[in-house]
Amino acid sequence: MEQAMELANSSIVWIFAVLVLFIVIFQAIKFIALATKAGKEIGMTTVEVKSALKTGSIAAIGPSFAIVIVAISLIPFLGDPLTLLRIGVIGSAPIESVGASLGANAYGTELGSSDFNVQAFTTVVWTLCLGGVGWLVFTALATRSMSKVEKKVTNKNNKSKKIMTIVTTAAMVAAFGNLASAEMVKGFEYILVVITASLTMIILTTLSNKHKINWLREWSLGISILASLFVGSLAIL
Amino acid sequence: MAINEEDIINEGYSRSSHDLAMEKFHNKAHFWGRFTLWSAIILTLLVPVYLSFILGYHPGWNIILTAFIVYAGIVAVVWILEPMMYFPILGVSGTYISFLTGNVGNMCLPSAAAAQNAIGAEPGTKKGEITATLGIGAASLVNKMFLIPIILGGSVLISVIPENIQQIFPLILPAIFGGVLAQFAIKKPIYGVIALTIGLIVNLTPLVVYIKMLLCLVLTVTICILIEKKKEAKA
Repeated sequence: MEQAMELANSSIVWIFAVLVLFIVIFQAIKFIALATKAGKEIGMTTVEVKSALKTGSIAAIGPSFAIVIVAISLIPFLGDPLTLLRIGVIGSAPIESVGASLGANAYGTELGSSDFNVQAFTTVVWTLCLGGVGWLVFTALATRSMSKVEKKVTNKNNKSKKIMTIVTTAAMVAAFGNLASAEMVKGFEYILVVITASLTMIILTTLSNKHKINWLREWSLGISILASLFVGSLAIL
Repeated sequence: MAINEEDIINEGYSRSSHDLAMEKFHNKAHFWGRFTLWSAIILTLLVPVYLSFILGYHPGWNIILTAFIVYAGIVAVVWILEPMMYFPILGVSGTYISFLTGNVGNMCLPSAAAAQNAIGAEPGTKKGEITATLGIGAASLVNKMFLIPIILGGSVLISVIPENIQQIFPLILPAIFGGVLAQFAIKKPIYGVIALTIGLIVNLTPLVVYIKMLLCLVLTVTICILIEKKKEAKA
């Protein structure tokens, strides 16, 4: 176990983790630059670009906090750099912990067990890295084709363009309807939180639309999260 | 190139120049997206290769394969389903960033949706895609700003937080999802009602997670299209 954790926190694992993290950060900056330029060309104002960036940042605070909490629960088993690598890239934390225990089991041990040695750790790394690469390989190979299919559909005529807008909006609502209800079936306080967040959002959006308050629109998701957490905590504590 | 531009002017300048700008943007997004994704893939795979063959801790291919096959049995469908399901929402550039930075459902999509809501851009349009890219890009950077210091600072920070406050953490996800759902339901209340009803029914069944997602998506989209068609027939 000790030897495995020494390896897990060794400088070589750190180097790889930092390099991958660097790519992720570089990509985000590169795409923001590309989108800013393209946005101006299609007639977006600087205010709109800034507002999109600001809103995206604010909306990420709540989720990031939740993600970091799960990430921390993985550190004792995977070490700092691998956790950073897995959660900083692709990483949906619950799935990573499943993969990690599967890897350990295949070697015939368990995460955190005393006989979790360097070979067991290597098995876990193989499992997580191979498993995580699946999304990246598919995205790298298929995005261009998906884009072509979409263009074919939308370029046909105005009617299919309209249907495309309905499909995207409905898909977005469906995605969150599913995510929200998966949480709601967990118990009373979860239902309470979903409803409070929804109501707060409706009130804030109505207010900001009515009085044209831009900052309120940018903060509406953040405020909804806080308000519903407050109500939820009253139910728990 | 010059001929093309002339054609575009003939067709009506403003519209086509937007199409051209978008095409240029997509081409660059494909290049940089694939470049960064493949670099990340190679670097990620180098970690186990290094541990196995340079340091000599190879556990044997049988063991690796056993673990991987079981793991792939759980996630392999999702590798393909997720990017395809979210593509219409995220667009080209959004897909590249979201799947590299991770946490698509709980962070990237909400950030994209919030950004679109803030400036009133419809998902699925040019402006919508650019806005989503800006939102997700900013979210990815903020996420790393949180992640790096906390992981470096170690678990110390979390152990300082009192236990009863820690009980609230599981509620963060339903808070995000509820808020984003309402954002859309305001524009199309009927879509929201349909999605939530189907979502609740599907989630009370013992189906596998990704089947639930797929069912909810397909059913909601189909019903919404049918409703819009009916409306059109009436009008």
